[in-house]
Amino acid sequence: MSLPIEVAIALLVWGTLVGVDLVSLPQMMIARPLVAGTVAGAILGDIETGLKLGVVFELLQYDILPVGAVRYPEYGPATVAAVATAHASAGVLGLGLGALVGLVTGLIGGISIHVLRRWTSSIVHAAAATLESGDARALVRLHVGAMLRDGLRAALVTAVGLCLAWLARPLLGGALSPRDATLLAVAAVAAALAAGAAGTLRLVGRGRNLAWFAAGLGGGIGVAAWLP
Amino acid sequence: MAAVRFPLARALLRLFAVQGSYNYERMLGVGVGVAEEPLLRDLADGRYGPAVARGAHFFNAHPYLIGLAVGAAARAEHEGATPDQVERLREALCGPLGSLGDRLVWAGWLPFLSGLTLAAVALGARWWAVAAFLVVYNVGHVALRWWALRAGWAYGTRVGVALHSPVLQKAAAVLGPAMACAVGAALPLTAEYLAAPFAATWARVALAVAAALGFLALRWRAGRLTGLQLGLGLSAAALAVGWLWP
Repeated sequence: MSLPIEVAIALLVWGTLVGVDLVSLPQMMIARPLVAGTVAGAILGDIETGLKLGVVFELLQYDILPVGAVRYPEYGPATVAAVATAHASAGVLGLGLGALVGLVTGLIGGISIHVLRRWTSSIVHAAAATLESGDARALVRLHVGAMLRDGLRAALVTAVGLCLAWLARPLLGGALSPRDATLLAVAAVAAALAAGAAGTLRLVGRGRNLAWFAAGLGGGIGVAAWLP
Repeated sequence: MAAVRFPLARALLRLFAVQGSYNYERMLGVGVGVAEEPLLRDLADGRYGPAVARGAHFFNAHPYLIGLAVGAAARAEHEGATPDQVERLREALCGPLGSLGDRLVWAGWLPFLSGLTLAAVALGARWWAVAAFLVVYNVGHVALRWWALRAGWAYGTRVGVALHSPVLQKAAAVLGPAMACAVGAALPLTAEYLAAPFAATWARVALAVAAALGFLALRWRAGRLTGLQLGLGLSAAALAVGWLWP
């Protein structure tokens, strides 16, 4: 992947915004892979690739239900990195390599969120006396500081993802035959479909919703079979 | 209401960042305290500081519905509730706000619209489907945050009445089946869309087999195996097979 500097900076800024949106501000769902991927594709002038990788990671996102203090991978900046990787390689090679880079970036992003939360916990713990005094300025300062650290975290994760994207093509792309590239893409898409289906069934549960799921599934199969 | 319009607007803006200092010690407590603070500014001197401190205590709930707790606690402080009553109110709201928000948003509104968008993209829609997702989702998102804050402020300690609003109950009842149907329809369509680049029959067969086995593994090892682990594992296996297969 060799990108003009202004495109790389735009991707870094976009990935940072996406990373901050996931938890900190404002949770408007630009962190959803479909959105993150499409805009990353638009930045690269390749919306089709952005949509494709966005769909792959959107399905993987169904595996996650962000309740309580559950730990999860971060697929927003991961999708940006995946699209940057796939843009540099055409066809199934791009799909497989992009998904692999995205999965690794998602893993790193998830770990970074956990580390940041622990760090913020220790800061909040240390500031307990100040917080108990009802000092509003200190409260706001602590809160804003945590958001800035999350912004830095998101920028770092995106930067690591873009570095992986830059390395993937020369390190892996050249070594893969067309058959190997197809196998890699099959693995990524299969995992996405499996995660999407399993995650959806977990959300749906049993009873009336399961019947609606079956109806939707039947309709979807019918349309897919009917289309040329 | 007019006198508190600006503090409410400030609190609403701060609510968009309520998770900014998410941590394992107080969860969303610090963010809740920051969001509540504008509504406490006209309390008497001796009551402002302790109320701000209470606002920043441990709290966890769905971020879009936290406005209910912020408004209700601030109103209770204004109405002279004792510290114990405010703490009990906050504790009582954690569970219901989390559960209702998860059902309404994480397991309803969001996957419903995501499923529709996935299906639209698979059927040939372009960026505009994603733009429509963002706009429609956020109409519901912002409306829910604003309603929650206003209702919390309006009801105060009787905020339970707002939680039993028929509109909320109806929305939760409708969104579950709508989500199930939309995502159910999206799955085969996205499978067809993602399989399109695989021209070789063996690749399509491998995709079907790997997806089916992956699905069974995720169901069988639910809670222990994640989609990310499956993806990384299958990718590693694919690279190994490619390397070993002459």
